[in-house]
Amino acid sequence: MLLNNKLNTSQIMFQVICALSLGIAANYYYFGWGIIFQIILAIITSIIVESIFLSIRKLPIKSTITDFSGILTAILLAVSIPSIAPWWIIVLGTSFAIIFGKHIYGGLGHNPFNPAMLGYAFLLISYPLQMTTWANVFLDIGQSFDLIFNAKSFNAISGATLLDDIKTKLSLGKFVNEIYTTSDSQIWINIGFLLGGIYLLIRKIIYFHIPLAFLLGLSLTSLILSLIDSDLYMPFYFHLTTGATMLGAFFIATDPVSSSTTPIGRLIYGFCIGVLVIIIRVFGGYPDGIAFAVLLMNITVPLIDYYTKPKIFGDKN
Amino acid sequence: MLDKKYTKGIVVPNNYKTISTNIIKAPLPNKIVLSLQQQYTNNQAIPCVKIGEKVLTGQIIATPQDSIGTPVHSSISGTVTAINNQVIPHKSGLKIKSITIESDGKDNWIEKSNYVDNFLNKDKLELINCIKNAAIVGLGGAGFPTHAKLENIKNCKTIIINGSECEPGIMCDDALMQNYAKEILGGIEILLHITGAKNVIIAIEDDKKKSFEILSKYNNNDVVKIKKIPTKYTSGSEKILIKHLLGTEIQSGKFPVNFGILCQNIATTKAIFDAITIKKPLISRIITVTGSSIDNPTNYEVRIGSSFSHIINLSKPNTDNYDVRMGGMMMGIDIKDTKIAICKTTNCIFVNKAKQKPIAKECIRCGQCNQSCPINLLPQQLYWYAKSENIDKAINYKLLDCIECNCCTYVCPSDIELVDYFTFAKSLYRKQTKEQKQADIARERFEYREYRLERNKLERAEMLAKKRKELKQKMINDKEQKDKILSAMNRVKTKNAVK
Ligand code: SF4
Ligand code: SF4
Repeated sequence: MLLNNKLNTSQIMFQVICALSLGIAANYYYFGWGIIFQIILAIITSIIVESIFLSIRKLPIKSTITDFSGILTAILLAVSIPSIAPWWIIVLGTSFAIIFGKHIYGGLGHNPFNPAMLGYAFLLISYPLQMTTWANVFLDIGQSFDLIFNAKSFNAISGATLLDDIKTKLSLGKFVNEIYTTSDSQIWINIGFLLGGIYLLIRKIIYFHIPLAFLLGLSLTSLILSLIDSDLYMPFYFHLTTGATMLGAFFIATDPVSSSTTPIGRLIYGFCIGVLVIIIRVFGGYPDGIAFAVLLMNITVPLIDYYTKPKIFGDKN
Repeated sequence: MLDKKYTKGIVVPNNYKTISTNIIKAPLPNKIVLSLQQQYTNNQAIPCVKIGEKVLTGQIIATPQDSIGTPVHSSISGTVTAINNQVIPHKSGLKIKSITIESDGKDNWIEKSNYVDNFLNKDKLELINCIKNAAIVGLGGAGFPTHAKLENIKNCKTIIINGSECEPGIMCDDALMQNYAKEILGGIEILLHITGAKNVIIAIEDDKKKSFEILSKYNNNDVVKIKKIPTKYTSGSEKILIKHLLGTEIQSGKFPVNFGILCQNIATTKAIFDAITIKKPLISRIITVTGSSIDNPTNYEVRIGSSFSHIINLSKPNTDNYDVRMGGMMMGIDIKDTKIAICKTTNCIFVNKAKQKPIAKECIRCGQCNQSCPINLLPQQLYWYAKSENIDKAINYKLLDCIECNCCTYVCPSDIELVDYFTFAKSLYRKQTKEQKQADIARERFEYREYRLERNKLERAEMLAKKRKELKQKMINDKEQKDKILSAMNRVKTKNAVK
C-alpha cells in the first residue's frame, strides 16, 4: 500500500460523494431535475436533524457535520428513492435514517445497520405507492417542482420501474423473450455508478472484495435461474444493468461501518447480498431487493467477522 | 530477489533530507547519566563506585546481578556525583536507579589493550565472555544482551545481519556500513567462529545502493551473502525479515534462536569487533539527528548517557518550538524532557516542528488498518474491545501478538491512536493475570496512562473554565457598556423632557 495520499475520514466521505456524481448526472440526463431536488432536501434534512441530535447529546456539531457521513447517508437515500417522490418522503426517510440508523446507536461507527437502507426500508414499507412511482421521461425544473412540492401527478410521465414492470408481466404468464426490453436510462445510470465505483477502487477508498463478490453472487444466481428456465427468469446481464445494482455494489454494500471488516468476511458478505438481491427481485414481493438484502446481511456481520479472522503471522493452522 | 514475497506493511514516504554519511564525533558531554536497569531482567546492576569517586572512560561502575545482565561502563572520565533514580527514555516514563558522572573534560581511558587479530584461535566461551564484559546489547532497538543470545543458541544454521533501518530518516546504520565495512565483516567472522553457522545473510534495504556496493567490495567470504530487501516499513523487524529472507514464519511465543537463526544488528556486529580486537567496551554509538526542524541532518558518534539536549543543540534546530522523538517516527517514543539521557538503543533523534495532534474520530471500520498490519491482526476489532476493556475478547483477537509497530495508527483515517489502546489493553491483561514478569512496568504504564488521562482532563477543564470566565467578563463588559449608553440616553431624554 502506498500512502502518500492518506485521507482522513471526512475526505473519504467527500470522495465517495464526488464519486456518486456520475450516476447522479446520468439520472439527471434521463429524468431531469427531480434528483437534484431530492438531494438538496436530503442534505438539508440531514444537517438539521443531526444538529438537533448532537446538541441534545451535547456533542460538537461542526466537526460531526463536516465528517460528511450524515450527508453521505442522505445522498445515498436520495438517489435510491424515486426522483419524483413528494418532498415529505425524503424528509421523513432521511430523519429516520439519521435518528434510528445512526444516533440511536451512538453515532458514526456504532451503527449495526446501513442507515440509508434502514431509511429506505422504512419508506418502502410505509409508503409503497410513493416509493414505486418513477419518472418515465425528462422533467424540467418546473414540472419536477410541481411533482415534488405540489403533489401534482402526471400519469403520462410516471409509472413503475422496469424491474417492477417485468415482474408484473412475468407473473401474468408472459415469457422472457416476449417482454425483454432494455432501457437506456437504466443502463447508463448503472454505468455512471460503476465508473464512480471504479474511481473509489483506484483511490483505495473501498476494497474490491465486496463489490466483486456482490456482482458475482448476483450474476451467478441469476445465471443459474435462467439456465433452469430461460423463459421464466431474466438473463443475468439484465440484472447487472437494472435497478440499483451498481449503486448497491459500490456505494451501499461497501458502507464500511455496517459491513464485514475482514477480507474473507467481505467476500462472504458481498456474495450473500448478491444472492439475496436476486432472490428478492425474483421471488419476493418488492421490485428491488438491495435494501433488504443489505439489512439482512448487516445482522450477520458480527458472526462473519468472528469466524473469518485472518490467519496471523506465524500461525500455521 | 527474495525467496518469499511478503506484501504487508506500509511504504512510509521519506520526507527527510538525505544526509551525508559522514560520522561526526560529538564533543564530550559535561555530564552523563547511566541507568542501571538491565534489559530483560528484573535485576539492576549494583554500583561498584561511590559518590565522589573518580572514574576513567571505560571503567566498570556497576556489575550485573545475574548471568543475563551486563556490566555498566563509564563513558567519560570524571567524578561520580549522584546515584539516584532518574527518568529513562521509555514509554512508561519510569524512574530507574542511575549513576551520574560529571566530566573532567580529559577523557582519560582505562588502560587500552593491544590489537588482537588472532581471535579465530580463541575459545568460544572466552569470546562470549569478552562480549559480555564489553556490555554489548542489541543496538537495533530491543537492547537484548548479545552474550545471552550467543549462549542460548544451539545448532545455529543461519546468521542474519540486519542492516535495514526500516524507518525513513534514520541513517546511522547506513553511515556505519559505509564507514566501517571492514569492521562489520570482521565482526561477522567472529560470530561465525562462535556459532559455527553455515550461512550469513546481510540484509540491506534496496535504496542503500552505496552501502551494498561497499560491503560487497570488501566481502570475500563465500558464506556471507548480501541481500536486498524492499524499503518498506516493518520489513526490518526481526520476524518479518526472516520471513523475507528464509520464508520461515516464526510463531508468536517462539524466537529465532529456536529455529537456529541468530539475528544481529549491523551496529552490534561492529561493537563486537571492537570488543574482541581492542577490548573497547560499548560506550558510544552512532545516532542520527534529523526531523523537520533540523536543516542539516547528521550522524553523530555520541557517548552513551549524554543528554538529548546536548546532542540536539549540536544540530542547531531552526526553531525553539519543537517536539523530540527517540527512534523512528513510527516505533519511537516522544521525549518530553530533553534533559534525560540517551541509552544504548537510541538510534535516532527526530526534532520536529511542534504540531498539534489531530483529534481522533470514531472508527469507521474502513479496514485500512488490517490491510497494513504486518502480523495480519484486525486492529479495528482490537480497538473496539480494548476501548470497552473487554480484554478476553481482545486476547481472542490475538492482542498479544501485536508488535506495536504503529502501522495501523499511521494509516487510520480517523486518526485513532490505536497502539496506545493496545499497549493499555496489554497492560490491563498483565495486571489481570498478575504475570510477574514485567508486572512492574505494566503497572507503571497503566498508572502513567491514567495519570495522563487525568492530566488531560484537568487541562481541558482549566481551559474551558478560562474560556467561560473570559466570555462572562466580555458579557459583563458589554452589559456595562449597554447600561452606560442606556443611562446616557435616558439622561438626554429626561433633559429634553425637562426642556
Ligand atoms: S483504520 Fe482506523 S477507522 Fe479504519 S478500521 Fe482501522 S481503526 Fe477504524
Ligand atoms: S501496531 Fe499491532 S495491530 Fe497495529 S499494525 Fe502493528 S502489529 Fe498490527
